[in-house]
Amino acid sequence: MIGNEHISQEDLMLHTLQALSEEESAAVRTHLAQCALCRDQVAELLGDGALVGLSVSQHPVPGGARQRFLDKIAADVLITKQATKQGARGQVLPFPRKTWIPWAMAAALAVVALSLGVENNALNKELRHVTIQATNLAAESARARHVIDVLTSHSAQRVLLTTGKKAAEPTGRVIYLENSGSLVFQANNLKLLASDKTYELWVIPVSGKPIPAGLFRPDAAGDASVVMPALPKGVPAKAFGVTVEKAAGSDSPTAPIIISGATAPSVGE
Amino acid sequence: MSINSPNPMIGSERSGKNDPDPSDDVLLERVRGKNQQAMADVFDRYGGLVYSVALRVLKDPGHAEDVMQEIFFQLWSQPDAFVRGRGSLCGWLMVVARNRAIDTFRRRKPTDSPDDVVLLSNTNLASETERNVLMGKVRDVLKNLPSEQQKSLELAYFEGMTHSEIAEQTGDPLGTVKTRIRQALIGLRKALAA
Repeated sequence: MIGNEHISQEDLMLHTLQALSEEESAAVRTHLAQCALCRDQVAELLGDGALVGLSVSQHPVPGGARQRFLDKIAADVLITKQATKQGARGQVLPFPRKTWIPWAMAAALAVVALSLGVENNALNKELRHVTIQATNLAAESARARHVIDVLTSHSAQRVLLTTGKKAAEPTGRVIYLENSGSLVFQANNLKLLASDKTYELWVIPVSGKPIPAGLFRPDAAGDASVVMPALPKGVPAKAFGVTVEKAAGSDSPTAPIIISGATAPSVGE
Repeated sequence: MSINSPNPMIGSERSGKNDPDPSDDVLLERVRGKNQQAMADVFDRYGGLVYSVALRVLKDPGHAEDVMQEIFFQLWSQPDAFVRGRGSLCGWLMVVARNRAIDTFRRRKPTDSPDDVVLLSNTNLASETERNVLMGKVRDVLKNLPSEQQKSLELAYFEGMTHSEIAEQTGDPLGTVKTRIRQALIGLRKALAA
């Protein structure tokens, strides 16, 4: 402490590095909440800490990480749009403008005046309804984001359940909704790739060329996922496949196909 | 803290008028408008830096990517967590990446909200050339620090050890550990000011 008031610069420095014990950090935080001078020192020390961060050897982001991030924010935009669309259903549309002759206007005004109280009650009800709807949508949105986090996190444990003790084979599972072009893919037991290679997922449409559906690299356990890649809507798929491509990906699949699966035929086919 | 700080991470703001690439401020404004391309540009600009810091701390590419993804998604969903005028985006990302990686390493909930990370003044390190020059300088300075200062700083910054743990590992008194880390940071600040 300086003059029995301020925290010493050494302790502030350790605080910025999270190198104090929990009790010590709590005491520093309490002081910082009241002391602008010490907060300024912390800001300066954080700047020094940021410099230390720049000293590390630079590594390129893992192959497919950029695409995974773009998929994630695209999914977020989609969720937000859907929430907004559903929320908009509760909005009150304005009445179309109409022309009234003077006596009719006077009569209408009288009716409106009488009905204002009733309408006010109705609007209050509507407002409560929309508020509840918005709250529900926010909860749904948070849950959807949570699901995406679970699906895409490298920290998540992925276990393939089988009937017996078989050697682990590469497997993948696609969930695809053609109307909205939504896709979730999970793979297990994939071999690790050299840094200049990546796996690429393909949608094989009923007609036309294969459509790229995301780049990905498995983690150390061979697990990987692709969630909500950018895909066109309304494309019926007959199969899905995974190939190995150069790190930047490819516009068309390169043989061999590592894993693939056909969609189930429709009833009556 | 003035804009004449010897720390280039908190020095004067670049005008950006003649830069072929948009400044961080311009990109962030677009990110606030939910522009996915702008967010991709921020990721391209700083993804490697954030990933490298997380990887240095965690030593695991999968976990390092998780930290990186989490930080950039947080910037996407809450861009106001970084407030213009409270420091450079690059510096902010460095601090948040390091702290989040240490939290992951210690398997604990984030101790600090990104909102709590305040670096004084502005620096625009949007230019790769500027970043590379600064990185080279910082590495040179740290390499030339006395070895015991280097060691103490490394254990605190990258290994996430408390000063007590460092003292226990090195066998040095607590006060000595504190002094060494402080001297290392002061040495870095002075060298960059020279």
